Amino acid sequence: MSGAVNDRRRINGPARSVEPIYTPTVLDSVAKGRSDGRGLDHMRPIYAKAGPISDAQTTASASGSAFYEQGSIRISCAVYGPRSARKPNARRAHFVCDFQYAPFACSKRSPTQSTDEHETSLWLSNTVGPAIRLEMYPKSSIDAYVTVIESDGKMATLAATINCISLALADAGIEMYDTVAACSMGLRDSQWIVDCTHQENAECSVLVAYMPSVDEVTGVLQTGKTTLEVHEQGVQLCTNVCVRVYAVICRALQASVE
Amino acid sequence: MSTECVTPGRRLGLANELDAGPGTYVRNGMIYASILGTKSTSESLPKPTVQVTRSAKFAIPTIGSHVLARVLRINPRSASVSIMMVDSTPCKDFLGTVRVQDIRATEKDSVRVHTSFRPGDVIRAEVISLGDQRSYYLSTAKDEFGVVFAQSVDGNAMVPVSWEEMQDTKTQCVEKRKCAKTF
Repeated sequence: MSGAVNDRRRINGPARSVEPIYTPTVLDSVAKGRSDGRGLDHMRPIYAKAGPISDAQTTASASGSAFYEQGSIRISCAVYGPRSARKPNARRAHFVCDFQYAPFACSKRSPTQSTDEHETSLWLSNTVGPAIRLEMYPKSSIDAYVTVIESDGKMATLAATINCISLALADAGIEMYDTVAACSMGLRDSQWIVDCTHQENAECSVLVAYMPSVDEVTGVLQTGKTTLEVHEQGVQLCTNVCVRVYAVICRALQASVE
Repeated sequence: MSTECVTPGRRLGLANELDAGPGTYVRNGMIYASILGTKSTSESLPKPTVQVTRSAKFAIPTIGSHVLARVLRINPRSASVSIMMVDSTPCKDFLGTVRVQDIRATEKDSVRVHTSFRPGDVIRAEVISLGDQRSYYLSTAKDEFGVVFAQSVDGNAMVPVSWEEMQDTKTQCVEKRKCAKTF
């Protein structure tokens, strides 16, 4: 242990670490109903449009784009590719997501909204990446640039981001196994509530990204602390709601082609 | 032939009843769509083929595809080109290389790159390999491949007069190129 203190070549963690304490926030009872009058399993209304950036001019370099609204969450995504990669892999394409909040996206304005933009980008690449048929594009790179214009509820914004990226990828004509649909749930009073806003800040939330047609979950994210049974129940409920989100995304894609 | 707009992941049919064409994939005996596009079924033997088509915005070079490329640099062993079109779809910033042994099919030892291509020429070529880290390998070894458009040293457009010569339209000067057979 004394060696660690004198080790100046590496960035050392704290000498002593403790488990974080989860203090349950005191919130209004769920029985009183939600502030915007939604039911417990109702999502906020979704507006999705594929192709706003890439259709406008024929010389636009983005292959696909999408604009996605869910309540007051607004996200835009542009997909570039398949284009030549700097470090090409002869077997598959290299997929990268670049996630960014606009400075005015959250309730507090700041140039870098969140320290976890980079971490979220990596998580998005790992969640949406498996849905793409990367082997069809050797030596190429596919890049998705996501900008959150307005955010309302962290997990709900993440779920909306995944939906937006799926829309943009499909608009770009990139081969995929299935369109990924995602939704999030928050736990309050031992009940799972769909699509929590920033105000309904739940102590524990779960996000599931699901491909309904091939029946595969591509990503699960949980914040907060809960028991395994409650977590499993949340994941199952989320998966069921994802099927409804999938239908909305598919209808938006079909509308963009006509 | 019915046409219908489908999204990626849409089930199109069973693999033992239909053949999977472009824009689809097979998993667990079921054919799924893999792109957003129009589904169409075409009659073929032994099973009808189902495919999903959409006019692609950008394409990547695949082995066997015919490309239109612009020559960027030449050196005694190869010509570096920038691929502009793959079949009939535009292509974004992929690089290709035509090695000296792939320029012609006959008399490969006596081929010189500077009498076949010059920087700025537009050539039609075929992709023969995924190539190395930087570029795809292309070949102009058939009659229909080679220079399709070039400018002379005076800056005028040139027309091919034979498979190895092009003539300036204004000054009638002749320059050596490996021409594509356009007639």
